[in-house]
Amino acid sequence: MSDELVVVGLSHHTAPVSLRERLSVPPDATEEQLRCVLDTRVLREGMLVSTCNRVEFYGAGPDAEAGLARLRKYLHERGHPEPVQGHLYERRGEDAVRHVFRVAASLDSMVVGEPQILGQVKHAYELAQDVGSIGTLLDRCLTRAFAVAKRVRSETEIAAGTVSVSSIACDLATKIFGDLSGRRTLLLGAGEMGEAAARALAGRGVHLVVINRSPEKAVRLARESNGEARGYEHLASELVSADVVISSTSAKNYVLTHDLMKDVVKARRQRPLFLIDIAVPRDVEPRVGELPSVFLYDVDDLSQVADQNLAHRQQEVEAAAAIVELEVAAFERWRRTLDLTPTIVALRGHFTNVMKEELARTLPRLGELGPTEQKSLDKMCQAMVNKLLHQPLTQLKEGVEGGNGAALLEATRRLFDLDELAHEAAPTPEVKPTAATSAAPEAEPSPEIPSESMGMPDGEAMTERPAAALGGLALGLSPTNLSGEPK
Amino acid sequence: MLLKLAFTITALAYASASFLYGVYLVRGSERAKQWGARALWASVVLHAGLFALELDQLQSLPAGDVHQAMAVTAMATCVVFLALSRKRPIAVLGAFLTPVVLLLFLGAGVGRDVPPVPSPVRTFLLPFHIGVNMLGLVAFAVAFAASVGYVVQERQLRSKRLGGIFRRLPPLDVLDQLAFRSVLTGFPLLTIGIVTGALFASRLGAMDGATSMAAVLSAISWVLFAGVLLLRVAAGWTGRRAAIGTILGFVSAVTVLLGYLLRGSVIS
Repeated sequence: MSDELVVVGLSHHTAPVSLRERLSVPPDATEEQLRCVLDTRVLREGMLVSTCNRVEFYGAGPDAEAGLARLRKYLHERGHPEPVQGHLYERRGEDAVRHVFRVAASLDSMVVGEPQILGQVKHAYELAQDVGSIGTLLDRCLTRAFAVAKRVRSETEIAAGTVSVSSIACDLATKIFGDLSGRRTLLLGAGEMGEAAARALAGRGVHLVVINRSPEKAVRLARESNGEARGYEHLASELVSADVVISSTSAKNYVLTHDLMKDVVKARRQRPLFLIDIAVPRDVEPRVGELPSVFLYDVDDLSQVADQNLAHRQQEVEAAAAIVELEVAAFERWRRTLDLTPTIVALRGHFTNVMKEELARTLPRLGELGPTEQKSLDKMCQAMVNKLLHQPLTQLKEGVEGGNGAALLEATRRLFDLDELAHEAAPTPEVKPTAATSAAPEAEPSPEIPSESMGMPDGEAMTERPAAALGGLALGLSPTNLSGEPK
Repeated sequence: MLLKLAFTITALAYASASFLYGVYLVRGSERAKQWGARALWASVVLHAGLFALELDQLQSLPAGDVHQAMAVTAMATCVVFLALSRKRPIAVLGAFLTPVVLLLFLGAGVGRDVPPVPSPVRTFLLPFHIGVNMLGLVAFAVAFAASVGYVVQERQLRSKRLGGIFRRLPPLDVLDQLAFRSVLTGFPLLTIGIVTGALFASRLGAMDGATSMAAVLSAISWVLFAGVLLLRVAAGWTGRRAAIGTILGFVSAVTVLLGYLLRGSVIS
């Protein structure tokens, strides 16, 4: 049987931030932590995802129960003295694949549809690749997870609409003005949220003008954003020339009154003006929003937009989950073909050996044969093996893909006594710890077996690399450092 | 019989494209958007086939009369729109444009028993007159769709109902620029069309009621588009008022055409 995927971890769904902080792993410590948990007999592949919202270990090994126990024990030790029990979740097999796909597609995130998680998982995958702890199963699972995330984002509106005040302000400005580069943005006052929104807009290339009661703060902020600071006396003229105004003063009365803005709108000749009032109490008289070509949004409006966007994302979760389910099923079909490979290799080896033995016995009786005749005989026998095996292998493949593989594989191995033959032919080799890169080629199945003749779906199953060579052994693990202690 | 069948199939293709673009606007289905564009391409191909059939059976060139001119306008509008939407995120405007195209196409099929054009206007100027009007109308149709998009998008922004339609519609500035450039393209063509039309009218002498009405509506369209352009260029007006002016100008221009059709021909 092939290896099985396991996931153990905790996230914002199950654990408080204090515990997540304790267990989180900085990128430079990833290699060391992976070495602690990988084990040639239990976990041959491994990867660690550590973000502010989750700490998760993904692993693959021949014994899922043992793999889960190892990861559980490791996280308990890391969490000590705070109890981790009750905060951990565990997944194996198909559930583990589903979990990885959901995490990458941002269905498990605190803010569903947020884009950062995909980058974080990709980064974790690259780190694990550098360490050499990614083998066939994790490699396939993660690359599929990235494709699933992309598909979910393009086929659903799970990531539509932003949910933070700054990004909503940016999005709305973009929906009004299109390209924001060079657009004039006036920041009135320098409250914290106003500053954040102005910075976000400056990041999109707007020209920032800051007017603040305290000129020093205005100058500092303007310098940081390549903008300019102006005095309060320029307020009216700046309002006429600005495209976006962010107001976040601490004034008790309205700063932008209806009368003032009426004149401004007249002078602007219907040019659209996006007014963002982040101040509490408000800086902009609400009636200003009724003036033509003025789009006024206060804090409540922005929060409402955030809620609308979140609600919309939630509506899309079902469609996204359906895509994930389809992809999980496809992954499982592929994984089942991994069980097939050793049997195919053994069966083909057995037939080829019989052919060679019989040929060796028969050839001397045929007298003097030239090299051409010998080659022809050899080819004929090889063709016979291929033809004889074609139908059984096709049936095996279909059985495995249809979920009925275990019984068929078992029957095949018993009918031809493949386990015994394999044991006789190849006593357990002494495997030396090698680098993942050098181990991979020698782990390739026999190249003399064309995948078409074996009825393989796309040859992918034939590229299986024993995870031992890629996981624990690649990390140079030995029985002495399997106790969970860093090497 | 064959012509009727070809006409019905083409009309159904236009209607399907219109429906699919509508679904995309309301539901946001990417599939509806893709299939909408495919259906519109298919409509264009079918329409070209219909022209070929007409040429073969009726021995009449497209743009030979106002019906065919309308049909060519419908097809040309689709081609221009499909070409524009390849480079700009304006596919959703198909929801506003394709119903107009369908209307033009169906209108073109009504009352095809066109009386012969009187000899005083049967000169080289006639195809020129019809041609420039057609091209002008294509430009105004695009401007119309962009302006409707602008009004809808502006309304959503002001009412703070930022749902799926808001997300799918392009930014206000993109819509405003598209409408402006289209009007700028269509206006000189409309002007030439009106001048040549006036020339024909003067050759025919006294105008009947419907022709006078058409002339008045043409003048209104021209004034509206001229106003939109003047206010934009001279007074820097953009936005909602410009969009509404463009919509009214286009509606007026289409009404002129419909007025002709109700009579059976431009000149009878």
